Amino acid sequence: MNGFGGLIPFLSHVRWQDLVDVLLVSYLLFRFYVLFRGTYVFRVIAGIGFLWVFQHIAGYLGLIVTTWAMRGIIAFAAIIIIIVFRNEIRNVLQARDIGAILWGVSRKPIETPAEGITAAVYEMAQKRIGALLVFPGKDDLEELLQGGIPWRGVVTKEMLLSIFWPDNPTHDGAAVVQGNRIMEVGAILPLSRRSDLPTNYGTRHRAAMGLCEKTDALVVAVSEESGRVTAMKNGGALEIKDNLALVQVLQHHTGRTPADLNARKMENLKLGAAALASIMLVAAVWFSFSRGLETLVTIEVPIEYMNRDPGMELMDTSLNSVDLSLGGSGALIKAIRPEQIKLRIDLSKAVIGTNAFTITQDNVTLPPGVALRRVDPQEVTVTLDIPVKREFPVQVDWIGKLPEQLVLTEARIDPPRVTIIGGSRILEQISTIYTEKVPLDNIKESGTMLVNLALSPASLKISSPSKEKVGITYSVVKHPPPAVVP
Amino acid sequence: MRHTAKQTRNIFICLLLLGLGRPEAAVPGQNDGPAAAEKTLGIEKIVMCEDIKDYAPANAAVVFSLAIGKVYCYSAFNPVPRKMTIYHSWYRRDRLITSRRLTLEPPQWATFSTIQLREPDKGPWRVEIRDADNNLLHVTRFSITD
Repeated sequence: MNGFGGLIPFLSHVRWQDLVDVLLVSYLLFRFYVLFRGTYVFRVIAGIGFLWVFQHIAGYLGLIVTTWAMRGIIAFAAIIIIIVFRNEIRNVLQARDIGAILWGVSRKPIETPAEGITAAVYEMAQKRIGALLVFPGKDDLEELLQGGIPWRGVVTKEMLLSIFWPDNPTHDGAAVVQGNRIMEVGAILPLSRRSDLPTNYGTRHRAAMGLCEKTDALVVAVSEESGRVTAMKNGGALEIKDNLALVQVLQHHTGRTPADLNARKMENLKLGAAALASIMLVAAVWFSFSRGLETLVTIEVPIEYMNRDPGMELMDTSLNSVDLSLGGSGALIKAIRPEQIKLRIDLSKAVIGTNAFTITQDNVTLPPGVALRRVDPQEVTVTLDIPVKREFPVQVDWIGKLPEQLVLTEARIDPPRVTIIGGSRILEQISTIYTEKVPLDNIKESGTMLVNLALSPASLKISSPSKEKVGITYSVVKHPPPAVVP
Repeated sequence: MRHTAKQTRNIFICLLLLGLGRPEAAVPGQNDGPAAAEKTLGIEKIVMCEDIKDYAPANAAVVFSLAIGKVYCYSAFNPVPRKMTIYHSWYRRDRLITSRRLTLEPPQWATFSTIQLREPDKGPWRVEIRDADNNLLHVTRFSITD
C-alpha cells in the first residue's frame, strides 16, 4: 500500500508532454515491430536486447571481461545491423509508401486470385508445361531468391501460361506471386539437400522443397514429365489431385478459409499484444527515468539578458552566471547537456540605471523531467545606460622603480586625450583614462614607447579616431647629487 | 638664526617679486592646458617636486619614489589681481585624497601644498588647482612608485 501511496501523488504530476512522450515512442517501437517482424533484423535486435540485459547482469555480478565484451558488441551492433541487413532495411523502406511505413498496420491484403491460378496450373499440367509458383508467407525471401526478373504484372491465367510457355525466356525458374501480382519471374530457389525426397523429384521439385524448408512460403510445382501438381509448405509436400484441392490450399495459405480467419484474428491479437507491450515497455522506461532515485546536481549557468531596449546598453551586471541546483532521476541528470539549460532575464521593462531581478522558475528552461530546486544567488542587478561619447585626458600608470640617480622629468602622451564611448552614468564618474601599467625599471635614458590604454569598466570602448595605443615620449635626467653641507 | 612663519613668508614673497619666478611658456611635466577662470589671474608655473628649497621647487619630476617620503605641488601665479583663495585638490586615481586651501596675495604669489607618502599611495595622481568658485585653473599629473 505504501508503494501506491507514493504512486498516486507522482501520477498527479504527470504532464501532458509525458503522455505524448510515452505514446510517441511506444508507437515508434510498435511500428518497428510491424515493419521488421518475421525478418532476421528483428531477431538480431531482439538478440542485442538480450545481450544488453546480459551485460547489465554481468556488470552487477562483477564480471569485468564479460561486461566489456558485451559492451563492445552492443557498441558495434548498430553498424552491424545496417551493413548486414541493408537489403531488408531497404526493402522495408523502398517497397512501401510512407503511409504504409507510418501507419499501415491493418491494411487488408489484396487477395490472390486462387481460381485463376488454379486454372492456369491445371492447363499447364495438362499440356505438360513445367512451372514453379512461389506464394510468400511472412518470411522475407530476399536473401534466398536469386536472379529474379522484376515483373509486377497482374495475375491472370494467360499471363501465367505465357511466363511458363516453353522457349519463353522466363519459363525457367519460379514466378513469385504476391497478392494479385506476379512480382518477379525466373527466380532461382535454393535446392533442398534432403536425401529422403522421392526419386522422381527433379530439380524443380528440389528447388520448391528447398525454399519451403527455409521459409513459410507455399510453393506449387507442376511436373513437366508427369503433369503432377505438388504443393509444398514448411518442408512438407502434398500432391494436388484436383483443382478444388489447389484452390483450397491457396486459400488456406492466403488466409481465406475459416481456419485462417481465426489465424488472422490471432494475428490481430498478436499485434494488439505487441502494441500493449510497446506501451508498457516505454512507460516502464519513462517511469524508471522519472521515478528513479532523486539526484541533485548544481550547475553553473550563464545568464542571458534579452529584449534590451536597442537605445540602451548593458553597462554592468552583478552576476554573469548563477548556480542552479537541479533535481531529477539519475539518468536524466546524467544526460543533461549544458546547452539544454537556459537562464534568460527579460530586460524589456528595465529602465536606465540599476534594475534588480529575482530569478524564478520562469527564467529557467530545463530539459523535461528535470526540476529546479534552488538558485544561488537569486537576485541579480543589471545596470542599463545610454551610451555617450566623451573625451578624457590620458595619464601614464607608471610602476616599478627607476634606476638610481635617474629622474623622470617629463612624459608627453600622444594623443593627450582620447574619446571614449560608455554609459553616461559611468562616464560621469571618470575623469582620466589610464594606460596599462608601464614599468620604469628598464628605462636608462629618454625615449618613446607605445602602450595600451586600460579601460575600466570593460563596457567602455574607444571611439574612432582614437586608438587603443598611445605614444609616450619621456625625458630622464641624472639626479643631482645631494648638496654637501659644510 | 631662527625665522618665524610670518618672516619666512615675507622673504618668500620678496624673492618672487625680485624675479625668481620668471614667466614660462610651458609648464613642464604631464599637464593639461590652463583653463583660466579669472582673466586677470595668471599661472606662472605649476610643478610637482621632491622639495622646496630656497623658495623654489627642487627636483621637479613626474614620477616620484615612495622612498622620498613627501611630494610637493608648487604653484606660482603672476599676476594676482587681488587677495584670493585657491585650492590644491590631490586625487589618487579618481579619488579625492585631500584638498588644501591656499591664499594668494597680489601682485604675484607662489605657494605650495604637500602630502606625506605611504605604501598605499603608489599609483597615478593628479592635483587639480581650482579657485574659490571651483573653477578649474590647472591639472598636473604625476605617479608615485616603488
